[in-house]
Amino acid sequence: MADLLIVDGIHTYIGQSHILEGVSLSVPRGSITALLGRNGAGKTTTLRSIIGVLQPRSGTITFDGKAVQGKRAYNIAAMGIGYVPEHRAIFRDLTVEENLRIAERKRGDLARRSDLIFELFPDLKTFLGRGGGNLSGGQQQMLAIARALVAENRLLLIDEPSEGLAPIIVENIARALKRLAGETTILLVEQNFRMASQVADRYVLIDDGRTQQSGAMADLVADDAAVRRYLGVS
Amino acid sequence: MTAPTTSPTRTLPRLPRSALVGLGIGALFLLALFGRYEPKVAVSILLSGLTLGFLYFMVSAGLSLIFGLMDVLNFAHGTLFMLGAYVGLAVFNAPFLAGWSTDVRFLTALVMGGLVAGALGALTELSLIRPLYSRPIYQVLLTLGLTFVGGELIKAIWGTAGFFMPTPSFFNTQGANCPSPDLLAFFTDHCSSILILGRAFPSYRLFVIGLGLVMFLAVALLLRKTRLGIIIRAGVQDGEMVQALGINVRRVFTLVFALGAALAGIGGVAAAPIIGVNLGIGQEFLLQSFISIVIGGMGSFGGATVGALLVGLARAFGDQLVLSGVQIPFVQEVIRLSPSIARASTVIIMGIVLLIRPAGLFGKKD
Amino acid sequence: MRFLKSNAGGLALVAALIAFPFVLSLLTGEALNTGTPKFWQGMLAQVFILGVYALSYDLLMGVTGVLSFGHAMFFGAGAYTAGILLKYAHWGLLPVIAAVIVVTLVQSLLVGALSLRVKGVYYAMVTLAFAQMFFILAEASDFREYTGAEDGLQGIPVPAWLSPTHERLTFYFVSLAFCVCVYLIVRRIVSSPTGRVLVAIRDNEQRAQTVGFNTFAFKLIAMALSGVLAGLAGMMSALWNLSANAGMLSTGTTINALLMVIIGGAGTLSGSLLGAGFLQLVGYWLNDAFGPRWPLLFGLVYIVIVLFLPYGIIGTWRARRRQG
Repeated sequence: MADLLIVDGIHTYIGQSHILEGVSLSVPRGSITALLGRNGAGKTTTLRSIIGVLQPRSGTITFDGKAVQGKRAYNIAAMGIGYVPEHRAIFRDLTVEENLRIAERKRGDLARRSDLIFELFPDLKTFLGRGGGNLSGGQQQMLAIARALVAENRLLLIDEPSEGLAPIIVENIARALKRLAGETTILLVEQNFRMASQVADRYVLIDDGRTQQSGAMADLVADDAAVRRYLGVS
Repeated sequence: MTAPTTSPTRTLPRLPRSALVGLGIGALFLLALFGRYEPKVAVSILLSGLTLGFLYFMVSAGLSLIFGLMDVLNFAHGTLFMLGAYVGLAVFNAPFLAGWSTDVRFLTALVMGGLVAGALGALTELSLIRPLYSRPIYQVLLTLGLTFVGGELIKAIWGTAGFFMPTPSFFNTQGANCPSPDLLAFFTDHCSSILILGRAFPSYRLFVIGLGLVMFLAVALLLRKTRLGIIIRAGVQDGEMVQALGINVRRVFTLVFALGAALAGIGGVAAAPIIGVNLGIGQEFLLQSFISIVIGGMGSFGGATVGALLVGLARAFGDQLVLSGVQIPFVQEVIRLSPSIARASTVIIMGIVLLIRPAGLFGKKD
Repeated sequence: MRFLKSNAGGLALVAALIAFPFVLSLLTGEALNTGTPKFWQGMLAQVFILGVYALSYDLLMGVTGVLSFGHAMFFGAGAYTAGILLKYAHWGLLPVIAAVIVVTLVQSLLVGALSLRVKGVYYAMVTLAFAQMFFILAEASDFREYTGAEDGLQGIPVPAWLSPTHERLTFYFVSLAFCVCVYLIVRRIVSSPTGRVLVAIRDNEQRAQTVGFNTFAFKLIAMALSGVLAGLAGMMSALWNLSANAGMLSTGTTINALLMVIIGGAGTLSGSLLGAGFLQLVGYWLNDAFGPRWPLLFGLVYIVIVLFLPYGIIGTWRARRRQG
């Protein structure tokens, strides 16, 4: 199986609390895999464990055939993983251009990738000199995704890109993510099931810090019972 | 955890408004100064204040950068300043430089003071601060301990007596045509003081102001124009996200610690000809730069600068006030006080700022 | 009866300390008020005074979790208040004690009201600045006729019955009683409803606030209690030394408090007393062995403890016992 990322039975603690109690998932190369689950199921913690800002206490994470767990976040990211955290976390005191430039891993990354970035998010081109803190929520989200695209990442971890945004902007972002499907592989955390089902071709369902089921997105869309049970939507 | 995003309009007006407050306080101060004294005295007090202010800046800048980036409040920063002064003096008097002019010796001292303090800062971060990032309280406990150990070490090496550091001859020539009538003439006669509005002002102090300005511009350029600066400014807000972009923040921590320490070390050497070299200067400058930071707001480079300059001006004004005597209403006699009172009263300013705006002029809430 | 049982260790220790001067006198064959017995009474009296100072700091830092770097200001204020009133106002001991309490209470409330507006290390920094202000004022030449400026306030007249030079044994028992009383008071405070709020603030201030406690007020209470106790310790220290000096207000004095509390274990109370014993006795020994360089060694010990023994001796021991 050509899985780019394999997470196998990780347990992660935040302070004393045991958040992940055995999450396993695999993300096939070139896919968009949606990581689904209720609030507090452990989706964000899973992404943070993969990128290494949280260290799982046990279990393994393999990226492109190489073990990742135990490495520091900057080493993991440098292997080719882009992270778009929840609440966007763009740098408010930096301009849009600086927000992009800081993500360069090699000199000239931004120049090489600017065609793609501005094709996806033409708005950003007109805001390059503006302070990150002065962007609207939607613009900040686009910037956060664009920032993860500056370096040639083979995997993007995207956490709730639709959170708090107007439907039309969510549409835009969904379109951008679909467009990226050919370029890279995406693991997407999304509360908005409608959007996730549109964008993703595979899914992983977690609940109470454990993986419940996974498979093709089309199967989940057909499986009303599971959707209602784990996501509380119909 | 990432901070919740603020509404986009909130962040823009904050800086200019605070800058306005700073300017306003400065203007009030100038008004009081020029209202009370004739212009040449007022200008002289102003320049003394800027001299002190830029010296405070050299300590508070590093303190603020380090705190902003890695949340470490380095209580040993005053000790690095003091160490810079001692090392500078030792280099100045070093036998291997004996043949050279005082100017060369002083310049070497300035560089060495910065280098030694910077190296020590890097070493401290790597060996002592780094293991404690998961226990932030212990970091400050440690740095407080380092002030103690540093002071004792300096005592062990150089003894308890204070030293006098001569002003380099470039700023210290006596002669028939001294004081220099103007700045231009100074560059040929190198008098120890220059006439400004007809009043003599020490030329070395003007050099300190210039040096402070150069250091300020250098750091500001570094922060604005370089990749390192972008990383520092980003790291001040969210170090975890910087890591997640593939950047080794720890290495930047060490670098910034070294840079901040070097600024303080240079400050120590620059201050030495004015305040002397003794065991009290570390605590003194740490205190005044703490007050600067409370005024300016924690973790903001601009705030640290404005705060330091304001404290310097207040100190100069206070010194003048206590020396010339304070007239309290309903009391006949003029009360004469010692400069210690002016030193202590800057703490009152800190108290007032805490009362009105605990976050400081440029500080973010909390 | 239950009190006796659960405090058997402490009571035995107090009994031993009461008997100590007599036993020592018996063992050495020297009179109570001479030689070795007199010397060790003095050493321990200083341990008791330092112990009170450490306890006062533990109440703030260990119990409430508020990290102050200006604790010396209360210790010094107590010392100077007592010294000035005894020497220049010729007050009696009881009014002096009352004055020390009032002065340090007002001082800690004022400083607290300002500095508690900020939190964490920021608070530590602000309290350090306030303490430095008092330090500078104590050294200022303006008040030389009262404070003695950089020479310190010398020759404080101590009531004859309490004279640490002539009535050493009395002084020993008074400081022992002082220390025991303060220990019991602080322990009482910690187990009181107020004390439980203080501990709650230490563990999670946000939560204490959400539950509905005015954490600012409780922290202010902790600061006032701790300030007054430190002031009383400072007063005892002035009585013992027959002098007060600016050093009592210096950062070094604050570091001593930190050292004692951290060595023993923050929040353990008894650890503070252990730390005081350590500071005084090991300090004496180091001074003997290494001369004037001993504070350097002490600083290094402090750093090693901060790095490797974060819970102190009592704290580490309790954690072990709980696990094992």
